[in-house]
Amino acid sequence: MTPTEFLEALPLFRDPILAGGIAGLCLGLLGIFIVLRRMIFLSAALAQSAALGVALTFYAEILLDAHFNTAVGAVACALLAGGILLVSPERLRTTREALLGLVFVGAGALSVLVGSRIAQEAHDIHAILFGSAVLVRAEDLGLLALGGTVSLLFCVLAWRGLLAANFDPEGARVQGIPVGALTTTLFLVFILLHALATRALGMLPVFAFSTLPAMTALALTSNLYVAAVLAASFGLLAGSGGYVAAFFGDYPVGATQTLTLAGLAAAAYIYRLARRG
Amino acid sequence: MSALLETQALVFGYEGAPLLPPISLRLSPGTITAVVGRNGSGKTTLLRTLLGLHSPLGGAVRRSEAFVPGYVPQRTALDPLVPLRVIDVVSLGADRGWDFFPGAGRRKRDRVLACLERVGMTAHLHQRFQSLSEGQKQRVLLARLLAGQASVAFLDEPTAAMDAVAEAETMRLIDELRREHSLAVVLVSHDLPIVRTLADDVLFVDRDLHVALHGTPKAIFHSAPFLARYGTEPGR
Repeated sequence: MTPTEFLEALPLFRDPILAGGIAGLCLGLLGIFIVLRRMIFLSAALAQSAALGVALTFYAEILLDAHFNTAVGAVACALLAGGILLVSPERLRTTREALLGLVFVGAGALSVLVGSRIAQEAHDIHAILFGSAVLVRAEDLGLLALGGTVSLLFCVLAWRGLLAANFDPEGARVQGIPVGALTTTLFLVFILLHALATRALGMLPVFAFSTLPAMTALALTSNLYVAAVLAASFGLLAGSGGYVAAFFGDYPVGATQTLTLAGLAAAAYIYRLARRG
Repeated sequence: MSALLETQALVFGYEGAPLLPPISLRLSPGTITAVVGRNGSGKTTLLRTLLGLHSPLGGAVRRSEAFVPGYVPQRTALDPLVPLRVIDVVSLGADRGWDFFPGAGRRKRDRVLACLERVGMTAHLHQRFQSLSEGQKQRVLLARLLAGQASVAFLDEPTAAMDAVAEAETMRLIDELRREHSLAVVLVSHDLPIVRTLADDVLFVDRDLHVALHGTPKAIFHSAPFLARYGTEPGR
């Protein structure tokens, strides 16, 4: 397709480009705290759970012959997964990573199982799992924009508190900073945005948006404020630009967005190694 | 002199089991109280209980209205992955409660810069905190404590992993700051000769001997439980 043809078709693809940009920007920024907390696989477990929520909603529609909003199913399942992950791992004689693994494989297997029962929606399920959806529904874009606005506002307002809570949690508590409330709100906002983005764009790119931009930015700079701007920019670039690249190359969208970010991360690590060398 | 913090028969521990006998302490402005004892004897848990991070099992902790805590935790408590600059670390220390919203940071900037100047770290403002030497890190953390306008400084092994010169400089700075700011200092340390020189009073704790002795350095270092544990008084 030529650039002229693309511009002519732009009204059709405007929404997925916007959705990719919003998800990339907001999850890229929130991802800073997820990477710093060493909870990268939280993102994978949440995205997988949100995908399960969408599959279960489709299944419920068939069983009950009614229409439900798939975003509600995605948010509900992601919240349930978040609740499981909040259980103290020490009480279960295990680790946080083990719980994340349990949620990830459990939700993944259930998604496949439920998907096998709803053949007529198999394409949608596949799109949600791998992020191969070419179009985004206006309803999903609206919800994603709302979730993105909430997450950006939270990041801007609570930035210093979140930094203090990450760097020295006990010192922050001594200063009276509400570490528990900030951490809980961060996870709730992350879960909400994850679920909405997974419904709109699919699991694979959402996992990538919430981890790779932050990893790349943190490898490039020692200034956390600069890292935040870089992470949001990388996410925005991959979310929107990745879609355009997929369009011109006729590649799957989610995989192109993910590979764009993986390429940036690899380049950042090579740069870091070269500087050290 | 009125106490900033006072404990009466304070009992602390985990899951209902006390770590040590009841402790009665009084922290007054401008004084240094050293907490000494072997590793695992409950020194850090005592600090956390005094700070309100850990609930006591019994007794009372009274904090006056002038009590503003500042905490320098053990070096391993600070996350090395968070890429903060020197000025960021001290700026974050200036926040209290919900006062971390945008704009508040700018208002506190002058105070933050003054604190960094006081500890001699102005030349390192934009350097990454984790790249500093242990002595420099402690200076920054003391500046963070000053920026928070603390009236009581809780310092958990502030000279751990330092060479002798850095250790002496850090202790000298702590002593200067407590005089200038009338700080009450609670100092957990294994460096007994320095404790002997600087501390106004000492709390010696030992879980195995089940003792918590509080008194002047001379009295504690001559006490039978201390000599039973360390063999001789410090500096001999």
